[in-house]
Amino acid sequence: MEGERESFLPEFISGDFDSIRPEVKEYYAIKGCEIISTPDQDHTDFTKCLELLQKKIEEKDLQVDVIVTLGGLGGRFDQIMASVNTLFQAMCITSVPIIIIQEESLIYLLQPGKHKMHVATGMEGDWCGLIPVGQSCNHVTTTGLKWNLTNNMLGFGTLVSTSNTYDGSGVVTVETDHPLLWTMAIKN
Amino acid sequence: MRGKLKYCLVVLNQPLDKCVRHLWSKALLRACADGGANRLYDTMEGERESFLPEFISGDFDSIRPEVKEYYAIKGCEIISTPDQDHTDFTKCLELLQKKIEEKDLQVDVIVTLGGLGGRFDQIMASVNTLFQAMCITSVPIIIIQEESLIYLLQPGKHKMHVATGMEGDWCGLIPVGQSCNHVTTTGLKWNLTNNMLGFGTLVSTSNTYDGSGVVTVETDHPLLWTMAIKN
Repeated sequence: MEGERESFLPEFISGDFDSIRPEVKEYYAIKGCEIISTPDQDHTDFTKCLELLQKKIEEKDLQVDVIVTLGGLGGRFDQIMASVNTLFQAMCITSVPIIIIQEESLIYLLQPGKHKMHVATGMEGDWCGLIPVGQSCNHVTTTGLKWNLTNNMLGFGTLVSTSNTYDGSGVVTVETDHPLLWTMAIKN
Repeated sequence: MRGKLKYCLVVLNQPLDKCVRHLWSKALLRACADGGANRLYDTMEGERESFLPEFISGDFDSIRPEVKEYYAIKGCEIISTPDQDHTDFTKCLELLQKKIEEKDLQVDVIVTLGGLGGRFDQIMASVNTLFQAMCITSVPIIIIQEESLIYLLQPGKHKMHVATGMEGDWCGLIPVGQSCNHVTTTGLKWNLTNNMLGFGTLVSTSNTYDGSGVVTVETDHPLLWTMAIKN
């Protein structure tokens, strides 16, 4: 945001600060952004940031439909996986749904149960998928996809749904017995 | 790939890392999966004839027509694998294994370039191919892109030498697919001692080495090892 930084001031910046440049930290501190150190090495900066965000949501008594996260799906492979893990940990941090977006990819963790997604908003790209990241999902049923599942098992080494797409109905439903990662293309 | 390591090379459809130049000539076999051929063609402009793969395979929905024609004219085998139930990468490995057997080659490792960036579903598909590879070939497969490497550790004990000079700072153990209930490591800064690794519970990321130069990992289920490499 060089040249227009003042129009893009975050409410807070948090982390263990091993990445933020000193002049950047100073700039935002001077501009009144809260700088919150979260040194705990057992959790990622992202996870700790969500905890703080949830606290502020509660303090301000805000109604929040979704937390949109930009970044996290590219670069170091271990950190991509850490982003996915944060979505699992988020179940215990906040009840607000969290989506992660980077470039043309979006991911969202579907909890066990039934889900309905509207996929004809004009923001959707061509592809989508269902990734059983943490464990196999033994009973997955979908509608609205080109290749639907009917009480199928999804699991690494068995079946992972990638390069899937939509059937044109504009609605996708997913029923799963275990947490299942939904991923889709978005027009950025 | 120092010394006498015998390896094959697979190029996937992602920006091609410079290390391909060092890896190409000593590879026993080289293959491109579909759009991987575009990457090779574009990256090697001016010296394409020195970088001709043994074969290019895929459903060919990504390879550009002029690229396909170029390599066909140059004598590279062009093999259509239209099966939509498996990815181009998986099918390429099947063909590679066939050729390894036909030529009775001794291969220590299959090095795959690409697969860890871009579309998230395709990153996950690359990981899934490592699981499927257990039934395709007994040759270990590593996937490399930019500074990341991944390798699927089968249940059992593993020993890795991590002081070759090619290692970067970080490493991790990712229980993709299922929790690993009993994981024990040595040689890491944060070791595991009969711990459980699982998404939502514990995933080892941003780990590093203790300086001993050797990492051992014992696991009861397939466990994805990932590390930084100097590219």
